[in-house]
Amino acid sequence: MVIMELRDLHKDFSGLKVLFGINLLLQKGEKHAIIGPNGAGKSTIFNLITGKYTPSQGKVFFKGKDITGYLPNEITRMGLARSFQITNIFRTMTVFENVRNAVLSKNNARLDVFSRLSKMNGIVEETERILSQIDLLERKNEMAGELAHGHQRAMEIGLTIATDPELILLDEPTAGMSTEETKEAIKLIERVSTGRTLVIVEHDMEVVFSLAHRITVIYYGQVLASGPPEEIRNDQRVKDAYLGEEKE
Amino acid sequence: MRNSTPLRIVIGIAVIVLLLFAPRVLTIVQIRMANEIAYFALFAVSYNFLFGYAGLLSFGHASYFGLGAYTTALSLKHVAGMPLLASIALGGLVGAAGGAIIGFFCVRRKGAYFALLTLAFNQFLWATAWKWHKVTGGEDGIGKFVPKSPLNLGIATLDHNQVEGMYYLTLTVVLLCLAAGWYLTKTPFGNTIKAIKVNEERADFLGYQVNRSKLLIFTIAAFFAAIAGSLFALFQDFVATSSIDLGMSTQVLFMAFLGGTGSFFGPILGAVIYVYFTDWVSSLTNRWEFILGVLFILLVLYFHRGFIGLIPTKVKAIFVTQKGS
Amino acid sequence: MELTMSTLLIYALHGLVYGMLLFLVASGLTLVFGMMDVLNIAHAAFYMLGAYFGYTVVLATGNFWLALIAAPIAVGLLGALVERYFLKKVHIHGHAFELLITFGVFFVIGEVVKWVWGNFPRPMDVPSALAGSIKFIGLTYPFYRFFILFFALLVLAVLAYVFFKTRLGMTIRAAVSDTQMLSALGINVPRLFLYVFSGGAALAGLAGVVAAPFLSTYPGMGLDMMVDIFVVVVIGGFGSIMGAFLASLMIGELQSFGILFIPQLALVFQFLLMALVLISRPTGLFGEKV
Repeated sequence: MVIMELRDLHKDFSGLKVLFGINLLLQKGEKHAIIGPNGAGKSTIFNLITGKYTPSQGKVFFKGKDITGYLPNEITRMGLARSFQITNIFRTMTVFENVRNAVLSKNNARLDVFSRLSKMNGIVEETERILSQIDLLERKNEMAGELAHGHQRAMEIGLTIATDPELILLDEPTAGMSTEETKEAIKLIERVSTGRTLVIVEHDMEVVFSLAHRITVIYYGQVLASGPPEEIRNDQRVKDAYLGEEKE
Repeated sequence: MRNSTPLRIVIGIAVIVLLLFAPRVLTIVQIRMANEIAYFALFAVSYNFLFGYAGLLSFGHASYFGLGAYTTALSLKHVAGMPLLASIALGGLVGAAGGAIIGFFCVRRKGAYFALLTLAFNQFLWATAWKWHKVTGGEDGIGKFVPKSPLNLGIATLDHNQVEGMYYLTLTVVLLCLAAGWYLTKTPFGNTIKAIKVNEERADFLGYQVNRSKLLIFTIAAFFAAIAGSLFALFQDFVATSSIDLGMSTQVLFMAFLGGTGSFFGPILGAVIYVYFTDWVSSLTNRWEFILGVLFILLVLYFHRGFIGLIPTKVKAIFVTQKGS
Repeated sequence: MELTMSTLLIYALHGLVYGMLLFLVASGLTLVFGMMDVLNIAHAAFYMLGAYFGYTVVLATGNFWLALIAAPIAVGLLGALVERYFLKKVHIHGHAFELLITFGVFFVIGEVVKWVWGNFPRPMDVPSALAGSIKFIGLTYPFYRFFILFFALLVLAVLAYVFFKTRLGMTIRAAVSDTQMLSALGINVPRLFLYVFSGGAALAGLAGVVAAPFLSTYPGMGLDMMVDIFVVVVIGGFGSIMGAFLASLMIGELQSFGILFIPQLALVFQFLLMALVLISRPTGLFGEKV
């Protein structure tokens, strides 16, 4: 079943054209990686999917519905969530409160002026469940902004899955991580993406090849190649255009 | 925090009992001052819902205070036998409506744009109040609309003398509103507002409807400000353009900052200090507003956490859950 | 009043004159905002002070031209003080505090004006050299208003020259785009801010002196101007000089004809227009940055 379709997406920013007709079909449950050199347009694609920008041309379909031009909060409530390349958490709230924000949203309690927050046991349970999934339960009362980088990145992923999305978009989740941290991150991502569809933008080829069922290569705003990892690995065009940045 | 709750309740009850028995020991002048502090405290807390909690800096909060004041005055003047509580409720509703309309235009904007929009709308309402002589009395205002004691509240009658009766009415309404406001900060919506203030973009991407939420808190703040305005009208028995002008918008700003915008109770302290201080200074000189302005600048430069910063941390911890601003 | 062609023309001219005055004040505000990201609420207070200083100089010396020089300098110096000792200090606490401090300054200046000059209007005579009226196309129009018009255009021409043809102007334009880059190039950005801020203040002060014989000095003139130029910037779009220019003329004409046709509701039209723009084109007619 196709969960997402990108149909002929173009994007230009006041004269600077970044995407030249992106087409992509995403199957439900798939783990899909998008790779490509910097500036190729990968983050722009994310921003178009998640509603931060509107495409200059083309459409985005999610679960069969045309979501082109929808606002980020509307798209999230439909079951899609994204993480940010530069950690974008609630720095002056605790780890617990961070995840709880997402859980409250998922449970449609955003405008609830009647319930007592501290008495909402279901919310507390769900929040703690997610915290243990991302291994941050023991740190639940620490200030999110004071966590170590690796934990903040885990927090970033935690916020993304806490709304229980069907489709997760991770934007360079292992950016700035050491080899050790990356290994942990891969395990975390595998764990949290079970039963969900995953799209991940990455530079680290180890991450890409351990996780992805299919890879799409973006090059100067266009799809250069798309297929299973082995195919991409051996694709001459890909080799020519993009000398894979292997992490040391 | 959890084990300070019984202590909080005890202190809260003690304060309320004290306030209830105060008229027995205070002079008329002091009771009147307490009355003034009460509605200004509500006004300042309502302001802080916008600034301290939602991060929205408003320069036109007197719009709703004034709407409440004028509505109450007009309803009492033109509707014979209007119960006081009804006139207050009506004032609150009109203020809330004003908040919803003005808020609709303002909340989509950020920072300076938002602040000046609130100022512009406030000026518009002030100019309307000033020009619409027929209804508002223009500069001359509306006066002598409060019925004499016994005060008919609608659901009850207050038998005390005028000053005491008004004091109890104000105190009760203010305490109820403050309790409701305090409760609001403990609800999921209260958390929504905090989350939006801390990281609006992420809240948006988590599914929060940012503009709608801001509009809701704006309307709620306007509602409480209008109630305060209604109580002001009843206390003064006179409403003119001074209840809706920039001076009034500035006063509530001062009060909130004076006390401290980082907590729920800060603005209450601010109202207390402000009323005493202006009472004292205005008896010394005509230029008390100038002095206030200078103090405000000094406050912003050197002391922006407000006077609540002077209270020892242990004492604070009982009441004040810092909002981490 | 008979609604003749000449009446309409006269009101149109009033609107033009006021519009140019608005633009003179609004451009300083927009420039400071564009460069320092600070919406200086005290800007209109500087305008008011300029008017009052001008009034005082004329009262003391009888010399309008002296006032035209002395008042902006005084206001410019005040602007420098405000920037250095208030604005700069508060900068680290964020935009809200910058707004609060400029608001505080606006308020205090308002109180000082009431204190020193009284809480009532003080009309100022048009300087005798510029008094009288001009007859043209069958109209009689006060010469002084033409003076305002041309003076405003002159000042703006000078500013445009400085902006586009001098090194200082180039630096300022670069600063509007990217202050960090400038800093990296070794330009003393804090000093630049100081100059531009006090220059903006002086410009507002100059507008005040020129406006005084036209509008008379009164304690509410700061607030009135603040609201007017804010409406101008909303309609024209933040950061757009062309937008500010067109919006200024629009507001000038709207107020002028509003007073002519429906004096009671003159203010309403301005706000309705602003509300309309806010709904239909939130970034203003020409604006991009908000």
